[in-house]
Amino acid sequence: MLSAIEQKVRSGERLGFDDAIALFRYPDVLGVGQLANVVRERMHGDRTYFNRNLRIEATNVCEASCLFCSFAKLEEGAPGARTLTHEQAWEELRSRMDDPPAEIHMVNGLHPTLPFSYYEELLRGWKRIKPDIVLKCFTAVEIHFFARHFDMTYREVLERLRAAGLDSMPGGGAEIFHEDVRKRISHDKATGDDYLEVHRTAHSLGMHTNATMLYGHIETFEHRVDHLLRLRALQDETRGFEAFIPLAFHPDGNGMKNLPAPTAMDDLRTIAVSRLVLDNVPHIKAYWVSLTPKIAQIALRFGADDIDGTIVHETIYRAAGSRSPDGLSYGELVRLIREAGRVPVERDTFYNVVREHARELVPESALKVRDRNGQKHLAVVE
Amino acid sequence: MSAIVDKAILAAGLGDLAHARRARDWDAVKRLGGALDHAPLLTLGALADRVRAEEIGDAVIIHVKRPDEALGVPDAGALASRGIDILKLVARARILGVHAAPVCVDWGATGLELAQVALGFGASELTGPLSNRRGLPIAEDAQVKVKGVGMVAVQSLKRRELETLLERAGRRAVFAREDQAAPGGEGEFQHA
Repeated sequence: MLSAIEQKVRSGERLGFDDAIALFRYPDVLGVGQLANVVRERMHGDRTYFNRNLRIEATNVCEASCLFCSFAKLEEGAPGARTLTHEQAWEELRSRMDDPPAEIHMVNGLHPTLPFSYYEELLRGWKRIKPDIVLKCFTAVEIHFFARHFDMTYREVLERLRAAGLDSMPGGGAEIFHEDVRKRISHDKATGDDYLEVHRTAHSLGMHTNATMLYGHIETFEHRVDHLLRLRALQDETRGFEAFIPLAFHPDGNGMKNLPAPTAMDDLRTIAVSRLVLDNVPHIKAYWVSLTPKIAQIALRFGADDIDGTIVHETIYRAAGSRSPDGLSYGELVRLIREAGRVPVERDTFYNVVREHARELVPESALKVRDRNGQKHLAVVE
Repeated sequence: MSAIVDKAILAAGLGDLAHARRARDWDAVKRLGGALDHAPLLTLGALADRVRAEEIGDAVIIHVKRPDEALGVPDAGALASRGIDILKLVARARILGVHAAPVCVDWGATGLELAQVALGFGASELTGPLSNRRGLPIAEDAQVKVKGVGMVAVQSLKRRELETLLERAGRRAVFAREDQAAPGGEGEFQHA
């Protein structure tokens, strides 16, 4: 089966639903990874992208009740609820101007009482502090919420935010598009069709955005493939997606805490299948916060060509039990990529190259394997 | 094993090494081992996984109690951030080691995610602390309430979680008794 799919991949023939399902079910995950790596290297060689970004969550107050979310608090005043003042949010950037980020990535809860002007002023303030900062803010779910809450169309919401400084949108909020899953895990927010329509509108305004998929909970492989194919269809239409980011479900502290987290092999396979199916999306991102830096590094051999950025501090995945560090330094990201045998390339939000680092291989001779118990057991040591 | 993997093994110049390994020609394995130095990661892993499948099968021995150092488990913190290097070491140990050698990974040192991936790169045994997801030790007598099951000892629950984890990786968990010596391999160990 993989041989037939391999022929399609090598000849540039598009994979279909059944092909993708076969890749998810194929027992040899390294074979699937090798195939994805062929495509990855055909598109990007050894280049692996990252950026200097700052994650900000201005409010975690959210009226939606998604089962998978460990981040949101239902109302102001609830334990752990937090909404930044403008000054607090701006200070997050101001305090980092000695080594400034190139991008602010903001995702928020669906706050029931904040005025629309709060968000516009947030953006304006950051642009006043650093006019060239790229503001990648508000998921499609937030844009949908604003449209309903403030009685505007998607286009009107986006045009007003664009006028205030919005440059791009993150991919969050996609979860799983299929209604059978979505109505069970996040019934009271934007549907899959709403999500796609918001991105379609953003693309029509000239914006470039990202897309995600939250996998590893109650969905089936069929739901995952349906999700990927819907994204691919929109991308055929608009060419507005820059990157696709598979997001692993983390079960701590949320309504699905009895479910196991997806295994690392599932993470790697999902990245590989995403690379193979989304033939029209330029970049597949191994989001190190979700995967852990070590698995993200390995994912660079399974089809991923981007490892996200410095992030500085992230709270959504940490609330769900992620053991990844709060942020990675620029140097740590470069080292992580180099040790994977790839070439680190600092990019901006739109994948323009800021700096391409030299290739530098880590010598194999630094590592040895030796026997430590009368030739009975093998030691794996430095 | 898929044709793409077979082709990759040949393309990486590992065909002779794979053949020598299968023939238990340890001198040839040692002589040809240098070919591993430049093999792509996934090809290295694929060959190691093939050797593991042929010589050991799908069983994964789990040492609930961390074995002593002589068992050859990496010290906690070693290679802490070098996921790819750990996988390379595991694969080399499997390919260059004695027949059916127990190659053990400590999830306390590598993280459970990476330990699971290592099972696809030739590892056959796991060890590490029974712990919750944040890596904190859990008292052995602790119990939790499980829907439909009732109160379950945490240790057995975690064993079940490990079993599930391995099943989802296509493997079968076998818990070693704490006094049980791990099985030894035959033949001479070849240094990397």
